[in-house]
Amino acid sequence: MDAQSRIKQLRYQIADHEAKLATLKEQLLGLESEVSRKSLAKTAITITPEYTGSRIWPLHADEYTRYGRQMILPGVGLPGQLRLRAARILIVGIGGLGCPAAMYLAGAGIGALGMADGDVVELSNLHRQVLHSSEKVGLKKIDSAVMALKSINPDPKYITYPEHLDPVTALDIFPSYDLILDCTDTPQTRYLISDVAVLCGKPFISASALKTDGQLMILNHPPTPHLQQRNGVSSGPCYRCVFPRPPPADSVVSCGEGGILGPVVGIMGVLMALEAIKLIYSGSIKLENGGSLPSLLQASDSQSSLKHSMTMLTASGSGLSTFRSIRLKGKRTDCIACSFNATIDAKYLRSGSLDYAVFCGAAIPVSVLGKEERIGVEELSKHMQDSKHNSIPSLPNLNGHVLSSDHLAPSSPGRPPIIVDVRDEAQFSICSLPRSINIPWNVLQSYKNTHDDTDALLELKSQLKRGNYANVYTICRLGNDSQLAVRKLEQLNLGGQLSIKDVSGGFKAWKQNVDKDWPDY
Amino acid sequence: MSLKPPPGFFTILYFAGAKDYTHKEKELLEAPLEVNKLLDVLEKKYNGIGEKILSSCLLTVNLGYVDTTEETLIREGDEVAIIPPVSSG
Repeated sequence: MDAQSRIKQLRYQIADHEAKLATLKEQLLGLESEVSRKSLAKTAITITPEYTGSRIWPLHADEYTRYGRQMILPGVGLPGQLRLRAARILIVGIGGLGCPAAMYLAGAGIGALGMADGDVVELSNLHRQVLHSSEKVGLKKIDSAVMALKSINPDPKYITYPEHLDPVTALDIFPSYDLILDCTDTPQTRYLISDVAVLCGKPFISASALKTDGQLMILNHPPTPHLQQRNGVSSGPCYRCVFPRPPPADSVVSCGEGGILGPVVGIMGVLMALEAIKLIYSGSIKLENGGSLPSLLQASDSQSSLKHSMTMLTASGSGLSTFRSIRLKGKRTDCIACSFNATIDAKYLRSGSLDYAVFCGAAIPVSVLGKEERIGVEELSKHMQDSKHNSIPSLPNLNGHVLSSDHLAPSSPGRPPIIVDVRDEAQFSICSLPRSINIPWNVLQSYKNTHDDTDALLELKSQLKRGNYANVYTICRLGNDSQLAVRKLEQLNLGGQLSIKDVSGGFKAWKQNVDKDWPDY
Repeated sequence: MSLKPPPGFFTILYFAGAKDYTHKEKELLEAPLEVNKLLDVLEKKYNGIGEKILSSCLLTVNLGYVDTTEETLIREGDEVAIIPPVSSG
């Protein structure tokens, strides 16, 4: 390990130990006051001690008021609140899921909230990442979050890790927490968090959201050590038990690509906080610093909550909003992370032998067209300009060369191009080129023949029939789908006599090099 | 959420990426059907869905999950769901 990573590691460890020490001191205080209370009355909970005028209460006066509304719930009470105050929760990712989760956990008076995130706040985060605000664009998400959380509740300790998690950091920091919340946004981090949580014996809550769908699972709960499984001790599955194979990299869609409705990811984050709070006050997870803090709930209650927790909750916010609970099985007997036959251990992870990026694969940019089948955005712009005036005899390209005749065949100079925009309807409605035709790639893709007539397809055919166009150009957001669309149009013979090309770099390049005012959505 | 399917059919629900791939939230398929035959049926209807979606998804029958290699029989009236992992957040 090089000196820099060692320094980083030591810093984390020191921060952790300091936080742990502070919690221990606080606990000691709490227990001392508890003991003094018990010395006043034999049964602390059921018999009220006589008023002496100098009683030491286990919570500060403000805390009774601040947390009173949750403390009076059956099952919470003082024991539940003391457990919440002794608890340490790590939230990985302070984005769409992490923000609402952190707000409610801070509000509930969790003793220590650790937060890991290496990103800065961007304008496109603000519709859903509710801890961050307009004036915080450009700040580290971690700093923005702590600022907002302290104003909600100054009581909890906020511990920050302003970096993206790697296996070594995770192995160093997970042990000092009782529960991990996976609020990240890639398959890689999901497998990483699961593997490390299993190794450190920590239960974790994994949630995710995309478009109008969300998922939530409580995993590695209870976190039984591997050896006990032979004795038939049941324990919860890990992320790998549920999804042993990562999705193909080119099918993984981010919020930036697929979109996300704020309340959908918000609901999932709030649900994570709810499940975390229940796990803690009910006494169904072990607290590192909680000693033997009791819970008001009977063991049978937490057993039934355990059964209940072996489910995946799916939320669907499209159409009629629905939630469904899917029963999960226990661990897979052949799981490489959490079964008796596990092959992943701490040493293996620390050595970097498990490359999560390789395991999950990398999306390779689409490259199916030759150079001669693609045009640049500048060329498209020029072609559009020239054909608008329709008076220029020849079309020099950017290098000053006159385009060869087959580039424009069979058109005469100045004929406009047919532009097929293959982004989906929603993106097309935000911004589009004049007179372009919208045939979304997922619609085009499913055409088996050209009898599947849609308005857009009819328009394309009628333009082709009119014959006063030069070339068909496909365009999309980044220049991937547009390449596939060229092949598909050729296959469907939808170019007629014209050559079909795609616009390299799509609208991203269009904004960069041609039209600075093009909306950046 | 879903009405009971007519005799001889089961309901199949598509979540997240599966919904995008099929452009459907649900449909009816003919019952009975072995779980390990379901993949062939879907692949025939949706070219490429096996590799892109089914290889990494969670498959459930009546809200309990099953392995795609299992010899479970899907009966008429059953509710099957294709649940691919969602990873963003």
